[in-house]
Amino acid sequence: MTNISRRSLMKMGGALMAATALTPSLSFAQAASINYWHTFTSQSEQAGLDQVMALFKAAHPDIAVTPENIPNPEFMAKITAAVVSGSRPNVSMVSSERFRDLLAMGALTDISERVAGWERRADFDDARFASISLDGKIYGVPAFTFVDWMYYRKDWFEEAGIAVPTTLAELYDAAVKLTDPAKGRYGFGLRGGPGGQNPIINMMEAFGSPVLHADGTIGLDREKAIAGITYWSDMAKNAAPPSAANDGFRQIIEGFQTGQTAMIYHHTGSYQDIASKLKPGVEFGTMAIPAGPATRVARLAYAYNTITSDENADASWEWIKFWGEPDAAIAFLEKTGYFPASTTAAADPRITGNEMYKAAAETLGFGIPQPSFPGAAGWAESTVLQAFQRILIGEITPEQAVDEMIAGLAEATA
Amino acid sequence: MSRSLNMPGSRPPRTIWEAISPFRLIGELSETRYWMYLLLLPSALLITAVVLYPTVYGMQMSFREMRLNRPDLGNDWVLFKHYVRMINDPIFWVSLRNTAVWVTSSIVLEFLIGLIAALALNRDLPGTKLLAVLILLPYFLPNVVAGHMWALMLDPRMGVINDLLLKVGLLTEYKAWFADPTTAMAAAIIVEAWHSFPFFTLLIMAGLKGIPTDLYKAANIDGAGAFAQLRLITLPMLKTIIAAAVILRVIGLVNSPDLLLILTSGGPGRSTQVLSLYAFQMAYKDFNFGYAGALSVVMFVFLMLFAWAYVRLSKVNQE
Amino acid sequence: MATLSIKGVRKSYGSLEVLSNIDLELEDGGFLVLLGPSGCGKSTLLSIIAGLEPSSGGDVVIGGRTVNDVHPKDRNIAMVFQSYALYPTMSVQRNIGFGLEMRKVETAARESAVAGAAELLQISHLLERKPGQLSGGQRQRVAMGRAIVRQPDLFLFDEPLSNLDAKLRVEMRTEIKRLHDRLGTSVVYVTHDQVEAMTLGTKVAVMKGGVIQQLADPQTIYERPANMFVAGFIGSPTMNFLEGTLVQDGGGLVLKHAAGALVLTGIEQDVRSHIGRPVVAGIRPETMSAAGGASTLQGSVDVVEPTGPDTMVIVNVGGQMITARLGSRDRPKLGAEMTLAVDTAAVNLFDPESGNRIGGDV
Repeated sequence: MTNISRRSLMKMGGALMAATALTPSLSFAQAASINYWHTFTSQSEQAGLDQVMALFKAAHPDIAVTPENIPNPEFMAKITAAVVSGSRPNVSMVSSERFRDLLAMGALTDISERVAGWERRADFDDARFASISLDGKIYGVPAFTFVDWMYYRKDWFEEAGIAVPTTLAELYDAAVKLTDPAKGRYGFGLRGGPGGQNPIINMMEAFGSPVLHADGTIGLDREKAIAGITYWSDMAKNAAPPSAANDGFRQIIEGFQTGQTAMIYHHTGSYQDIASKLKPGVEFGTMAIPAGPATRVARLAYAYNTITSDENADASWEWIKFWGEPDAAIAFLEKTGYFPASTTAAADPRITGNEMYKAAAETLGFGIPQPSFPGAAGWAESTVLQAFQRILIGEITPEQAVDEMIAGLAEATA
Repeated sequence: MSRSLNMPGSRPPRTIWEAISPFRLIGELSETRYWMYLLLLPSALLITAVVLYPTVYGMQMSFREMRLNRPDLGNDWVLFKHYVRMINDPIFWVSLRNTAVWVTSSIVLEFLIGLIAALALNRDLPGTKLLAVLILLPYFLPNVVAGHMWALMLDPRMGVINDLLLKVGLLTEYKAWFADPTTAMAAAIIVEAWHSFPFFTLLIMAGLKGIPTDLYKAANIDGAGAFAQLRLITLPMLKTIIAAAVILRVIGLVNSPDLLLILTSGGPGRSTQVLSLYAFQMAYKDFNFGYAGALSVVMFVFLMLFAWAYVRLSKVNQE
Repeated sequence: MATLSIKGVRKSYGSLEVLSNIDLELEDGGFLVLLGPSGCGKSTLLSIIAGLEPSSGGDVVIGGRTVNDVHPKDRNIAMVFQSYALYPTMSVQRNIGFGLEMRKVETAARESAVAGAAELLQISHLLERKPGQLSGGQRQRVAMGRAIVRQPDLFLFDEPLSNLDAKLRVEMRTEIKRLHDRLGTSVVYVTHDQVEAMTLGTKVAVMKGGVIQQLADPQTIYERPANMFVAGFIGSPTMNFLEGTLVQDGGGLVLKHAAGALVLTGIEQDVRSHIGRPVVAGIRPETMSAAGGASTLQGSVDVVEPTGPDTMVIVNVGGQMITARLGSRDRPKLGAEMTLAVDTAAVNLFDPESGNRIGGDV
């Protein structure tokens, strides 16, 4: 034992260190592990994600994806904390209305070059990237599309002899006609609770007052906005369940599923949830969002996957672009109802051959993107929704509500 | 150095090893009056890191422009801009009033239910041990779970509460509790009371154990009835514990928006908007951390004032 | 003021019987001490008298009224607890007057009653304080003040002195005696301290295992204990028990023991039934002396303990240790043979099998 001098020990140590320094590049280069923050909540969404992950695992056995569910209402708080504290996820799902806020806080990575060199870039219209790009830089890949549409009780409509509405005026009449509180039946499952802000903004735009104008300026046209708000609050008062002011996603879906309401305004993502309770084409049908007096506002929003950390960026890129594969996109559609963002995938006969998807396919033609500017999401959620609820509980008039919205918008964008 | 630490009468080190032995040095240091401060140092550092620093940081934030989604505005000092805005902000005043209603009603309800439960459980009857565990269950539920559970139970379509009230005849039709401003606040307060009354039960039960039974025997002989015993013996004896529980609960209620966030998000309208929820939304929905910080500072000051006044008025620190 | 009768009172918790068939009578103005080791049931009996605990059977009669179903507050009793049970959040004034306050006595009348009681107990200067600010002795006085202010029919004391130090205990003992002499109210007093029992009681009930072993005046209890338990429990140093056989020797009786024979003259018991049988002689240490006499015990000195006024000497009498209380001048040498003269008139003879005192008094 005494033969081992201090010097020989040091030599051995040096060799060991050299060896360990080399090994990672040899043994770990093949495997990467990334985590994925998403806001999928329903069972069907979860099933869709599982499906995509299974396909991805088969294609990329070397990349391990750990999904982490972040409840949608908490998403911004969580990601803000993660960015500020430096514990970012590798990939995050970002909806278009959150893009500008996240970009402003420095959460997103510019992936313009990767996108430019992507073999499936041609499958996507340029417009698909519009709400995740700024100043020519691209920050995400569209994973799937939220196509706004409506579900209606086909059997009730037929029974009452009402045609499927194509304008907001017809929509209102149909909703009122189908309302019978004595029977516990309401024409319209209006979302006045959490998440109800987007239809409110859409109504103002449909009546001629967009928030974000074509020239990039921001502002509301008071009179037209009042008309839109009046329309929507009348709808809530005359055709919606009394719980409207507190009804969020779960409540409007359940209301429709359980035969309380005749129509709801949502997007294609809830299709499988509805179809699991009601018979497609018999008990319920789907329709495009009816046109307003000024314009037809049906949103096409995209869920993007974005790289939110520099670590394992290559693996992250493999994961986010995988959502553009037609097989992955259609598998996801079949589990959930969310439309593919890829034009190639959307042209797949599995979609075009299905009558129930017709309204969504149509909407792809005239749908428009969400208004997006820094502060948009916060203003919509805290000012617009709150003001609208105050109309429903009789605290203020539509005029006062619009004034509150205008003031809030000025504050948010000041 | 080490010489100056030598205590009179301590044995001088015999060898060089002993002279530099850390055990010997620590041993000698522990005999000096600096030892106390050295022992306090780790916890002092910890408190500075996790309490003092964030508090001070939050306070300085309230004097700055800090909008995460508007990097173009910079992070300059804005002095009292946020506080001035607050004075003119109707939502702030509504939130302040709602906070007062929310906190006061919840505390009163929680205390009353907690006291009754504690008095009931304090009897040494068969089954009270099991009952005590059952009654404490709500408190073990996280706010989020309790919130979602009650949101479902109070649901206007499938909620079991509506069903029951309808069967009993207290309701004629399903009620959308959270869509009506008056019932929304009341329902939220009941949920909160349900969730947190075990906190009072727990503390009051501990306090009751500390009251000698002889006092009640003496009171029985003295002719004090059950209510007089409660008013003149039990409650005065529990004063300190109740005061501590109330302060802790008030702080908890003022500071945590989670239950209201889940049940109502402050709605309908502003009817259940409270300060903590407003600050939370200001920070994480509007990303205006400066204004959110100012709201938090105001809450902090209110809480300090409350705790001070409450301790004063309840005279808990007097013999 | 009233008499107290306990008639066949029983108490059991499930199958555990803690009081069996207790009968007691206390004359008006009497001072009854319930004496016994812990667990003998004396405190339970007191609680039953107070009405704080229900009995399992039997009657409690206070002043001719059966109070079995009467609430404690309506029994017109007052109780002093071992813990004093003062209300910590109230002033001394309010503590003392609490019973009156609860009985809706007018403030002025109440205050004068409290002032009177306070004066009697010399605590007038403490009225504004809270119990937490008082010493043990002061709390004791307040507790007594609370009891006397209501002028009850019966005082109940539950080991009131056991939380005090030795000196205060003696002082307060005297105080209680003085109060009783002055007020003349009947008292039931629970203690495990025989000195308190002997000094205070007009009647002492020695209890063990839920049974009254002997109920008598203190002197009888001391001089004519009903059984070996009472004999051994009362007196310090305890009574010596000398085992032997009772034989008739001519006209007199003799106790033959291992180291000789003790001539028993003047025995105040009828022991004829036990002649020729083993008996135990109970000899109080102070009934022996170092001087010679007709009845003596011989043995070697084992231990000598001078206590000041007396000298305790333990003598080995044929293997049985006998303690004698001798004068302070008597200092026998260790190991020396010594003869103890016994005042056999004071000797009690017990049946070793039952432990009971043999026969009745002659």
